[in-house]
Amino acid sequence: MIVCIAVVGHQNNPLYIQSFTEADDALKLHHIVHCSLDVVDERVNNPKKSGPMLNETFLGLLYPTENYKVYGYLTNTKVKFILVTTDLDVRDADVRNFFRRFHSAYLDAVSNPFHVPGKKITSKTFAERVTNIVKSVSFHTTG
Amino acid sequence: MAREVSESCMDSLLTEIVSSYCNVLYATKPELAARRIEAIGYQVGHQLSERYTMERPRFSDHLEAIKFICKDFWSELFKKQIDNLKTNHRGTFVLQDDKFAWLSRMSGEPSTETRGSAPEAGNKAAETTGMHLYFPCGIIRGALSNLGIPCAVSADISNLPACSFVIRIKV
Repeated sequence: MIVCIAVVGHQNNPLYIQSFTEADDALKLHHIVHCSLDVVDERVNNPKKSGPMLNETFLGLLYPTENYKVYGYLTNTKVKFILVTTDLDVRDADVRNFFRRFHSAYLDAVSNPFHVPGKKITSKTFAERVTNIVKSVSFHTTG
Repeated sequence: MAREVSESCMDSLLTEIVSSYCNVLYATKPELAARRIEAIGYQVGHQLSERYTMERPRFSDHLEAIKFICKDFWSELFKKQIDNLKTNHRGTFVLQDDKFAWLSRMSGEPSTETRGSAPEAGNKAAETTGMHLYFPCGIIRGALSNLGIPCAVSADISNLPACSFVIRIKV
């Protein structure tokens, strides 16, 4: 299950963050997202490690924690998408697919002439679309 | 290639933007009108670059981003690529479009409103043509800024209908 999704601007400013849990653990999830930003920077500045996926938008698994896995995606415009999921056995292709759909939702949101670039995304349509994407995606566990 | 309705709409819209900013809103302040038109272009470029770079890997250097502007971005906007790209390898790039779509219907003749002497009328025509170029300049600047390349863009129209855009990357 996807528990948290975040959009972070090029100066590491939060543009959108939404958690999808019943429990009151939003703060913990925000903390995880926050920590992952350093990993993103590290990946981007030391491209040697990423090897064949050089400069690809999909950054893959950023780091696993005990209960969560954190995935990252960095667009050409240096906007980061962070995904936190509780599924521990996830196929990369599924995550890629999720990010692609999420990216197009993000695109449509920022193409709104009333959206101010660099400010938080407040669009209800975007929030709805994200919720739909999150609900429709289930990472199939292979195990 | 067939011309689409939306292209004609775009031409008319651009003409109308320029004329309302220059003759109605900021009739006495042409620099301010130019800035406003450029800002509209900037926003358009900013949003379009986000969309058109969606499926591609990140750019590793400036040249790659400029090449993207010349090829894919220009194709999306004008259904053709930039015809000539020059650079001094020190942050200045010149993009030449031999038949720039938004100027192809621009007449070099002085308009009927300006019945002054010939050079004066010619100046006026060049000025008006120049006004139409702030929008595409803004688009390029917006696109590059969004890709993390702050720059200044100006246009040169010494030989119509060819048009050169000069990009100076700020370091």
